[in-house]
Amino acid sequence: MSQKSQSKITVFHCINVFGDGDALPAVASASGELNFIKLPCSSMVKDVFLMRAFEAGADAVVVLVCAEGACRYVEGNLRAKKRVAWIKALLDEIGMDGRRLALFNVAAGDARSAKRFIQEALSVAAALGPNPAAARSRSDVALV
Amino acid sequence: MKIESTGKLQRVLNSGGFAVTAECGPPRGADAEIVRKKGELLKGCVDAVNVTDNQTAIVRMSSIAACAHLVTMGIEPVMQMVTRDRNRIALQSDIMGAYSLGITNILCLSGDHQTFGSQPDALNVFDIDSMNLVRTVQTMREQGQDMSGFELKGAPRMFIGAAANPFADPFEYRVMRLAKKIDAGADFIQTQCVYNLARFKAWMKMAQDEGLTEKVHILAGVTPMKSVGMAKYMATRVAGMDVPEGLIKRMEGVAKPKVAEEGIKICLETIAALREIQGVHGIHLMAIEWEDVVERIVSEAGLLPRP
Amino acid sequence: MIVGEQKPISEIKQIIAPYQKVLILGCGTCVKTCFAGGEDEVAVLASALRLVCKTEGKRIEIEEQTVERQCEDEFIQESAQAVSRNQAILSLACGAGVQAMARRFTTAPVLPGVNTTFMGVLEKPGLFTEECSGCGDCKLAVFGGICPFTRCAKKLLNGPCGGSQNGHCEVSSDIDCAWHLIIERLKALGQMDNLRVYLPPKNWAASLSSGPRKLIREDHML
Repeated sequence: MSQKSQSKITVFHCINVFGDGDALPAVASASGELNFIKLPCSSMVKDVFLMRAFEAGADAVVVLVCAEGACRYVEGNLRAKKRVAWIKALLDEIGMDGRRLALFNVAAGDARSAKRFIQEALSVAAALGPNPAAARSRSDVALV
Repeated sequence: MKIESTGKLQRVLNSGGFAVTAECGPPRGADAEIVRKKGELLKGCVDAVNVTDNQTAIVRMSSIAACAHLVTMGIEPVMQMVTRDRNRIALQSDIMGAYSLGITNILCLSGDHQTFGSQPDALNVFDIDSMNLVRTVQTMREQGQDMSGFELKGAPRMFIGAAANPFADPFEYRVMRLAKKIDAGADFIQTQCVYNLARFKAWMKMAQDEGLTEKVHILAGVTPMKSVGMAKYMATRVAGMDVPEGLIKRMEGVAKPKVAEEGIKICLETIAALREIQGVHGIHLMAIEWEDVVERIVSEAGLLPRP
Repeated sequence: MIVGEQKPISEIKQIIAPYQKVLILGCGTCVKTCFAGGEDEVAVLASALRLVCKTEGKRIEIEEQTVERQCEDEFIQESAQAVSRNQAILSLACGAGVQAMARRFTTAPVLPGVNTTFMGVLEKPGLFTEECSGCGDCKLAVFGGICPFTRCAKKLLNGPCGGSQNGHCEVSSDIDCAWHLIIERLKALGQMDNLRVYLPPKNWAASLSSGPRKLIREDHML
């Protein structure tokens, strides 16, 4: 075994939860490598973005959406929830484990909750081990 | 009804008698002895025996073959024929073949959908529907022609039956559909099992108002319930059945060893009530896998001896 | 429109197993509308296959493309170059599209990634229902615009059967009894007399029963 690598988490979030000036990076934890992607509305998190995040090596993907009933576009967060459920099933189907993907409702600016959810994702990623597709490609690279 | 009698069932009905038919489900196998045993139990206590055609879409010995076994025993069969499994070519061919074997009654049905049966992965046919089948048999008999208009060398002269379900929806349309079946050529009708007498009476009243009971012989279906489980199963799982809650309660209300007895009692009460309804010309007793109870029910209903 | 559903990944994996370079070709018309084979579905499937192959240590190169309609040669031609760069084509079109591709590219294996299920409509967002079976002899005028050949599980011409209860089909309570709908509709239209007449057996000669059909329009041929 080589040295223990940090879990990589990609976080998609709605700008209405954490806007430009907000202190979301402050939730960054020492135990993980976080990659934040902001969206004008969580409903814009298309299926393929979630998949590509895993292709890019994420061990887990978190989608932070507004509280139910609080979406600025009425049903954006509900659509995001349905999409996440669909992709979770696809991840299960391809042996990636749908638990690597999670969606959480967060009140606007609630960094404490966001931090807790990201920590949760980190522990899930730690329990499941590294992204199997990324791990394989890392070792492929090492062999070259 | 216009043509001369070919069988006992037709004779009984046309002479104004109260007919009794029973049911015999062929075995899931090739053992003719099973058919003969069931035949023995029914012989002499009914006018004719319906032989089901792969009922509930479960693969069984063919209706024609089982009917032929009964014919050799001197029992008159009513061959049930569904349009689910055969196209018009096979149906017509089998009607002629059946008649050549001495089978003189047919009950034309569409058949339970194959999703209920042992082969839900089967392709269904439904080339024609039960209404078309009735008309086909009538044309063969009256015109001596097959569906293509070809003059047959020896026409099958079948007594034609059709089914009616007074308990299916939409209720008001059920009588209209009965009229269509009569127009298509049905001589007699066998109904779905009657448990809800009120609804059956309402249906009969409508049929009578339309003058239909003058044109066709209606045989009301009855099935004795053997257990509470069976009653509940029929109430909830069998398509087109109407078992009132009160009857289930009544079955539940008696001690377990007496339940079957209660079922027979209900059946006898139903038969008595049906005989009072104008236009009911007989009963069709479907004692499912309980053929040995038929003689007793027919006897206690006061319907023995058969003519 | 034609409605289809993407095959399970496990089956697709098996179908493309002999190839290392695969073109996933989407179709931008019907199957796009029912989320089976449009551009977005091509992208997600490609991503899923790459992930699964990496996980299993299998090398695969996937190219993605979507043409407007795989059932028309004019649009199919746009994929010619991509086809030549790959060992096989995984088509996310309906069965007609897959065959049109196979007809044009005679040496490239064209594989189906979608199960074509029916001709239907988008009843409401996320719900597609079967309405037509293309029997070649439309009788909707008699039945108030509801097709019993397609929507009755027994194709009854003189229905409904004895299994219709509370407006549901005996096959499943999830299925509306087509005959119940027909009767309700004809009542509303004041056309119940349509159902009093005996309807003779359907002529299936115009259907697939007589073999694959052709539509010939001389005026459009040169």
